[in-house]
Amino acid sequence: MKQARRTAADVVIIGGGIVGCSAAYFLAGRGARVVLLEKGVIGGEASGRNGGGVRAQCRDRFERPLAMASVKLWVEMQPDLGFETEYTQGGNIRLAVTEERMASLTREGEEELADGLMVEVWDRETLRRRAPYLADNFLGAKYCPTDGTANPLLATRAIGWAARRRGASLRTRTAAAAIDVRGGQVESVTAVDRDGELVIETPHVIHAAGAWSVPLARTIGVDLPVHPERNLIGVTQRRPRQFTEFLSSHDAGVYARQAREGHIHVGCIGSRPGFFDSQPGPLEIAPLARGVRLLPDLAGARYLRTWGGTLDMTPDRIPIIGPVDGIGGYFLAAGFSGHGFCIGPIVGRLLTEWLLDGAPSLSLDAFQYARFAALAHALP
Amino acid sequence: MNAVEVAVVGAGPGGLAAAVAAAERGAQVTVIDSGRQPGGQYYRVPGDGVPGDGVPVHAPRREAGQRLVARAAAAGVRFLSGATVWGAFPGNLLALSSADGPRALQAQLVILATGAYDRPVAFPGWTLPGVLTAGAAQALLVETGTLPGKRIVLAGSGPLQITLAAELLRTGAQLVGLFEGQSLPAVLPFLRALLNQRARVAEGMAALRTLARHGVVPQTGWGIVAAEGGEEVEQVTVARLDAEWRLIPGSERTLACDTLLVGYGFVPSSTLARLLGAAHAYRPEWGGEVPVRDARCRTTAPGVYAVGDGAGIGGAPLALLEGELAGIDAAAQTGHGQATADAAIAALAPALARERRFMQTYAALFTPGPGLAERARDDTILCRCEDITQAEVRHALELGADSAAEVKSITRAGMGNCQGRICGRLLAELVARERGLPVTEADLWAPRPPIFPVPVSHLDPVWAVAPKEVAQ
Repeated sequence: MKQARRTAADVVIIGGGIVGCSAAYFLAGRGARVVLLEKGVIGGEASGRNGGGVRAQCRDRFERPLAMASVKLWVEMQPDLGFETEYTQGGNIRLAVTEERMASLTREGEEELADGLMVEVWDRETLRRRAPYLADNFLGAKYCPTDGTANPLLATRAIGWAARRRGASLRTRTAAAAIDVRGGQVESVTAVDRDGELVIETPHVIHAAGAWSVPLARTIGVDLPVHPERNLIGVTQRRPRQFTEFLSSHDAGVYARQAREGHIHVGCIGSRPGFFDSQPGPLEIAPLARGVRLLPDLAGARYLRTWGGTLDMTPDRIPIIGPVDGIGGYFLAAGFSGHGFCIGPIVGRLLTEWLLDGAPSLSLDAFQYARFAALAHALP
Repeated sequence: MNAVEVAVVGAGPGGLAAAVAAAERGAQVTVIDSGRQPGGQYYRVPGDGVPGDGVPVHAPRREAGQRLVARAAAAGVRFLSGATVWGAFPGNLLALSSADGPRALQAQLVILATGAYDRPVAFPGWTLPGVLTAGAAQALLVETGTLPGKRIVLAGSGPLQITLAAELLRTGAQLVGLFEGQSLPAVLPFLRALLNQRARVAEGMAALRTLARHGVVPQTGWGIVAAEGGEEVEQVTVARLDAEWRLIPGSERTLACDTLLVGYGFVPSSTLARLLGAAHAYRPEWGGEVPVRDARCRTTAPGVYAVGDGAGIGGAPLALLEGELAGIDAAAQTGHGQATADAAIAALAPALARERRFMQTYAALFTPGPGLAERARDDTILCRCEDITQAEVRHALELGADSAAEVKSITRAGMGNCQGRICGRLLAELVARERGLPVTEADLWAPRPPIFPVPVSHLDPVWAVAPKEVAQ
């Protein structure tokens, strides 16, 4: 056995997704020595394999302030990234087929306006006028003009590369193997790459490895109530530019956006448990035919390709963010439940503030790991 | 959904031989092929109204193909022509799409005979109209009886160039130049390998006589450098090659032409085998990434065979033998002709061994050297579906990409209609060269269904979704 290599950092980030890369970007921007460990490639999992929506509307009420702040941050960050992420504020349309859905969207819209998020509730005629390309059976919709989309394959990488320019060390194809805790305080992280073991001495760890966080967290006594779900997206051949909005309908079970080159990306609402480490099954791929429920024109289109990603779901569908009692220096940022692409940047900045200033500038109380303490006893 | 005992994908020599062998032994066989009619590339049938004798070299082949198709039909083989297999799922469930609609086929056993396509070679001007692969030119010739152009330059490697050149000449083309990449001394051992290959010698001699009659002398040790032109190719530059197939500076020559045909061998179509989970190995002498197989052509995926060029470039005679072998074994596995299967397979062994030896020699002589992958310049397009240049790919490498898959994510190269069938290998070669890695196509992305563009409504072959249906 070769002797393990050793190095040191102010913060070790485990996971090169959008949360980890954003944290690296903001931490390095404030001069912290950051080492980011990624088992594969930057943005190679859920952060690079999602619907590409960046929205503040239709969020859990605790998540809403984070999402609103993150949208602002998405706008602010773009010029500094130095790489095109295809981020645009093309709007977000949440559709209703049923009266019940329409009523709940209307109620939610009032809450959002009260919280300072500009949204519009559209009746059938307005929807027809504003989005004539949609199927004609929707009763109405809620629309948020500041929401938008980005290219997931590029956005996370762009943030990662910007973090690297600021001095963060991004170690790809390097898996975190152990978090060493002594006397209730993080001391180092052991990683494994092509050349063997690497020990990084550090007082701080940000654990942001999505659904892959679970086994490593367990080794230090943290039982994450996070389970993986498979999410599949289909991409059509290039189509004429038709719309800029991100579209979704829970009634129709489907969402869609048109990417910059004209391809339409379609995903289904309602995913299956499991990691996306295998081919999609026939019953998983067949529902992508639902795309026509939103866009009747798709009946004449062809799917070109599909890709799959693994979501990290929590029981209450909001993430776990913050420290864990009894493990000094260890910060969780996992279980984003499909919301990480939008709120990743703000979470990266809030974690930076927490580590360097002692507290985040927006409350993260609702996301504490401790909220599951009672639940843990109830689980089988 | 239909259930079959044996599904054969591909109706070229390997697929037809497999279907005939399995069906004549009593198995229930369905052959799926994307062509208009069975035959594949090798037995390609002329289109309606095209005189079949327009391409004399091709006539005996076409007749042999028709005999196989007739035998298959007589044995009860069902043909699904014009159908594309866009998805394959564990348990050998195949998802098909054709003009008639979607279809699912549940097979006990699958024999993949998916063939090969021309090896893509990127060089300045390779995307100009008038630059075609040798295979495309041959398909055009047989299918429509027309020539790709009038003044043709042919650059490639292997005796197939000679046969194609002869077909072009007989159809009335002017051959401006015929350039074989391998040098003459290196080619000489091939003559010994031809000693007991009567059919090949006869075909080759006939082709050489045609060349001689037209005064065409193949130039050996020469290769393509670039194609130039405004709207279409107007001239090409060729140069002498060293042993590694790198250009010898100062040896360049320019020829005026209206068509350039490029034929540097073939790449196995192994996407479906990879989709079914068959383990693959990188074997450059067999054309690249090929499924790992046992002596009965079984891949590591349960119930999945691979035969012919799709399992490693071996040519039609080897495909026929492998197809027959797999067909006999598949019939036995589904309960037909078990008593005689082992003897019948053993009887194929000497011929198989002879063909494999021949192909080994062939591959050793005509597999292009590493220099062929270095023709592109920074402004050369590598991904022609998405118009991605070598410079853009290099930029992705500078940003840290260390695999073809990551280059794809960053640049869009490989995301277009061909799904990387053309550029995937070019990317892998470039990544390997720049990063000092071996060209293992493990660095390629994993295929996912659909592997061919499929109509949105065909994604659901079992419960086709009506456009009006909305409620969950």
